[in-house]
Amino acid sequence: MITPLKALRKNWFKTLLIFISMTVSISAIFLISAISSGVVGMYSTMLKTDGDIIVTQKGIADTFFSDINRSLEPKIINLAGVKELNSMIFGASPVDNLPIVAIYGVSANRLDNYKLISGIYPKNDEVLVGEKIYKMLNSPKKIKISKQEFKVSGVFKSKIGFEDGGVVMGLNDASKIFHKNASMMLISLEDIEAKDMVEKINNLSDDIEAKTTDNFIDNYNQFKIIKTSSDIISALAFLMGILGIISMMSMVVNDRKVEFGVMRSVGLSSTAIISRLIAEAIIISLFAYIAAIALSYIVLEVIQNIQKFQGYINGEITPQLAILVFVISIIMAIFGSLLPAIWASRIDPMSLILGGSK
Amino acid sequence: MRLKATNIEHFYGHEKILHGIDLEIEPSKITAIIGESGSGKTTLLAILSSLLKPTNGDVYYDDISENSIKDINAFRRKNIGFVFQFHYLIEYLTLKENIALGAFDEHNINTLMENLGIGHLANRYSNEVSGGERQRAAIARALVNKPSFVFADEPTGNLDTKNAVGVFELFKSFNDTTFVVATHDKKIIDYADVIIEMEDGVVKCISKKRV
Ligand SMILES: Nc1ncnc2c1ncn2[C@@H]1O[C@H](COP(=O)(O)OP(=O)(O)OP(=O)(O)O)[C@@H](O)[C@H]1O
Ligand SMILES: [Mg+2]
Repeated sequence: MITPLKALRKNWFKTLLIFISMTVSISAIFLISAISSGVVGMYSTMLKTDGDIIVTQKGIADTFFSDINRSLEPKIINLAGVKELNSMIFGASPVDNLPIVAIYGVSANRLDNYKLISGIYPKNDEVLVGEKIYKMLNSPKKIKISKQEFKVSGVFKSKIGFEDGGVVMGLNDASKIFHKNASMMLISLEDIEAKDMVEKINNLSDDIEAKTTDNFIDNYNQFKIIKTSSDIISALAFLMGILGIISMMSMVVNDRKVEFGVMRSVGLSSTAIISRLIAEAIIISLFAYIAAIALSYIVLEVIQNIQKFQGYINGEITPQLAILVFVISIIMAIFGSLLPAIWASRIDPMSLILGGSK
Repeated sequence: MRLKATNIEHFYGHEKILHGIDLEIEPSKITAIIGESGSGKTTLLAILSSLLKPTNGDVYYDDISENSIKDINAFRRKNIGFVFQFHYLIEYLTLKENIALGAFDEHNINTLMENLGIGHLANRYSNEVSGGERQRAAIARALVNKPSFVFADEPTGNLDTKNAVGVFELFKSFNDTTFVVATHDKKIIDYADVIIEMEDGVVKCISKKRV
């Protein structure tokens, strides 16, 4: 282990370049994965807190467009096993000078899901605002949503960034703004399999689609898009990392032709030479991994505290992600150094030496 | 171990450097290869030692063609030592670590270094010692596994007479090893049992010392 360190120190400049390029790729993978899973995670938590089943309009691409009729409510509540049903409107609209803010229209019995830090729950023509937006609008007494004025009755606090930057109002008021009955129904159950209930609800009407919350989240288009783009960007970062290591390791090997020629001339096996180079790359990748974690933490912290993002961007490096990226870093080091190392272990020793000493 | 080369030709690019060389090297003797600069000594040594594949022709070790040796690295490690014209020590390793690079047994390294007069320099790096000391470390690296063959390219180029003679006395003491040495050094030629003279990529004459 000492020898690779010595070699790295001797070639410190190239080592530094490889280190930087690896740190950047690993950080990119960390950040994009953390942020995307943060966004998906926040939304999922929000949905999971109150409901085993979600009912939306059938075949809708996004809950923003979903429009369902509340006349179905009594029918669903009367099904055996349904504990609670909450209809909800989920929309987005300009609020005062903010171009787009999430608006939650909820039935009265669901209001206490929002933890008040001041004021009281809203009545008609009143709204509850999240702590973050409350600060951004400089503690307003009234706000204007889609040309209509609402009195701010209270402020709530939520860990979920979407909510903390959003506005909560009664279902009827939201209904007027968004011209719809409800976006979705959240249903919680008692003593019954969610799957069986989904079937029963779907049989009630052709216009709606019920899914278990887990199923809904897994299949929600927006999440799929976020997840897929994040995976693609991660894959590209991974590829960039590998290509970076290959090209720089080739430069390193080129600089060190004589050294590898000498190693071959004293009879060191190809494996010995390849593992030397891989060991060096792995050492760099370990340092790059640590640096990338530190860098990602700092960047995530900064992003979360930028007012403009209203807390929408939220990322966390979970242990699973940390382990996954660790494995990716090691793979990156091995694959990146394999090609140049194999090349160095194949060519005639004297050709390496003559080619390198010129 | 016997060494034979048949019809060796070698090109660097389009330039033909060796023009069909046939040779047999006598086992356990010292063979000197002499010839003008550019006559092809280094190229021939590299080919004979398996460090370079000739464009045409074959090299045989005990009648086994080099091409048919399965693990050439292992073969080289056990049977071949090479002293390069320009020492080529690895800079980030100490002299001792350089010598130990391919060594099977590190115990005799100290004695070997003592014999070459560089025992006190074991932990120095190559840029911290003189050219002659570097060259002697390179010689030690070639001798460390007591190989069947040692190919040495101008091994005494940087040494004064006293040290050069010391090196050849050491060579003589390796009774079972075959030495093939490219050299200009007249004093050294006296140590050789066989002298091969090269000219423009061909063997001009081979002379054996009568005993
Ligand atoms: N890597 C190379 N590429 C192209 N030509 C080369 C290469 N190495 C050597 N040559 C040429 O091949 C010829 C023989 O070179 P070689 O090194 O074998 O000579 P030499 O007898 O060892 O010379 P010297 O006594 O100067 O060391 C020379 O003309 C040289 O210019
Ligand atoms: Mg030469």
